[in-house]
This record gives sequence, structure tokens and C-alpha cells, in this order.
Amino acid sequence: MLTKDDLTRYERQILYADFGEEGQKRLKQSRVVVAGLGGLGCSASLYLTCAGVGHVTLIDCDRVELSNLNRQILHCEEDIGEEKPFSAAQKLAKLNSSIEVTPVFKEITERNAREIIKGANLVIDGMDNFKTRFIINKACVAEGIPFIHGGVHGLFGEVTTIIPGKTPCLACIFPEVPQREVAFPVFGVTPAVIAILQVTEAIKLLAGFGSLLTGKMLYFNGDTMDFTFCSLVKNQNCKVCGTKEV
Amino acid sequence: MSIKVRLNPMLKSLAGGQEVVEVTGHTIGECLENLESRFPVIKQLIRDKQGQLRRYCSILVNSESTYPKELTTPVKDGDQIDIVVFFGGG
Repeated sequence: MLTKDDLTRYERQILYADFGEEGQKRLKQSRVVVAGLGGLGCSASLYLTCAGVGHVTLIDCDRVELSNLNRQILHCEEDIGEEKPFSAAQKLAKLNSSIEVTPVFKEITERNAREIIKGANLVIDGMDNFKTRFIINKACVAEGIPFIHGGVHGLFGEVTTIIPGKTPCLACIFPEVPQREVAFPVFGVTPAVIAILQVTEAIKLLAGFGSLLTGKMLYFNGDTMDFTFCSLVKNQNCKVCGTKEV
Repeated sequence: MSIKVRLNPMLKSLAGGQEVVEVTGHTIGECLENLESRFPVIKQLIRDKQGQLRRYCSILVNSESTYPKELTTPVKDGDQIDIVVFFGGG
């Protein structure tokens, strides 16, 4: 049920014909997990909050550092040393007090991943490392929860929407987890662009309209300002979501 | 025999801005060698010191994964190879 304030706050997006009040109700009833509160996760949770997603869970196991502030826009100088999920949740609560934001200061592992995402309508990839992304990918496939992957490097970024059982998962494309990068180059604008594309996917998926980035990777090149696609096909031998015996 | 290699944005920037490069070869390995001979800097990015593909690279032929036979998978005229580089930052 939308309140009078909801109708006022979300008036401009409710005007979008394929969305309307029904779309807004669906967002309000939705639960989204943002895995990682770095460059991607900060921008993504900001726009999920603005859009009126009813329940947003923020998970990260790091504390705010000065070197984060070129891109992690929910953290301020006074937050240095704070747990990222709580730093982010404070800002989001001021932005939209009508939604529920749950901060969780915890590392995502093979053991707890499924429990953390259980009950979510979708998971946003805000991770900064390959290993945890693949853990979440596997957990999402096991739980049947859509996973909106995003990744960045310098001025490059990528997005794809993974629907378990229907689309390729990350392990279809990268069967072995890549080695960890020590420090990757990145401008603040790159994760901002990618996160906003992830939230665009999330809004459509939750509200049930539009077409999604399923079965394809969208690449953003901020250096030349172009977007390109790469088609992806489900790997029947995938050790995470494949249907054949390996 | 003409095979098209589609480069993701990072590799495209190393190939003079070309998104699609036509190469020759009967296997993916031969096609990559042909590509790398023209753009040696690409080799530095996609291969380790032993010449193996780095794990953040994936090779697709006509959108399908070729793992674990990336370099020995045969290709035929008209095939499209995609070199996918995983952007792992967040």
C-alpha cells in the first residue's frame, strides 16, 4: 500500500507508463542485498534508496579509509575508521526514512553466503574482488536469486544480469576464479556509471517491465565514451549452474 | 580463412581502437598468435609468463565458452572469437 507521502515522493517515476503505482508498490515490497559498500555499492544503494526499494541490506567487512573517498560517495572524511555498512546506512536513512536499511558488518564466505542472501528478491554486486563475487554468484544460483553483476577497472566497466536457470552465470564465462588484483585503477565516475546501470536493471526486474541485460555483457568505455555488448551463452558444463555431469 | 576476433574495451584500446580484427588460424591458439604478432601489447595482458591465458580472460567462440580447451579449440571460416577480460574492481 502506498502512502500519501509515497505518492508525492515517487510522483515523477510513477508517471512512467510501464511503471506506475503498481511498479512502485512492487519496489516497496522488495528486498535487495547490496554486497559490498565500495564504489559500486555506495552509488547503487543510493539510487535503490531514492527509488523506494522497501528493504535494502548493506553488507561489507571493511572500514572507511581515506583512499576510498574518490569513489565511495556515501562515506565522508569524518567516517574514516567507521564500519562501511553503518556509515552508508546513516546517510541513506537521512535520504529516505520510509524504507528499511539494514547494515551488516560481516565478511561474505562460502559458509554464510546463502544465509545472508536468503529471502532477497535480488542481489547487487558491489564487490571489489573476484573470489567473493564467485561465492555470491554460486549462492545466488543455489537460492534462485537474480544477481546483477557489475565490475570496473580504470574507465572501463561491465554489467550483466544473471537469472538462475535462465541465463549464463559468472562461472559459465569464467570457470576458474581469477587471481586477486592488489590495487586496481579507478576513477569515481566509473563505478557510478556502472552502479546506476545495475540499479536500472534492478528497478525493471523488480517492477516487471522493460528488457534486461540477460545473456549479454554490456561494456562501458569511459575513455572513448562508447558502450558495446558481448553475447553470452549458458555453459551446460558449468560447475555452478550447468545441467551436465562434469 | 577469415576469423573475426572481437576485442573488449580494454583490448580495443591496445589495438589502435579496432573493435574487430580479422585473423587467420585453424585453432584459437593460432588465431591469438596471429593477433598478438600484430599487437604484442595484447599478449602481455592476456597471457602469463608461461604463455598460458590469464584466468581473468575468457575466450568465447560464437558466444560459447571454450574452457578448458581455449587454445586448442578448432575454428572455422566465419567464426567469431570474443576475448572477454573480467573487470574485477568495485
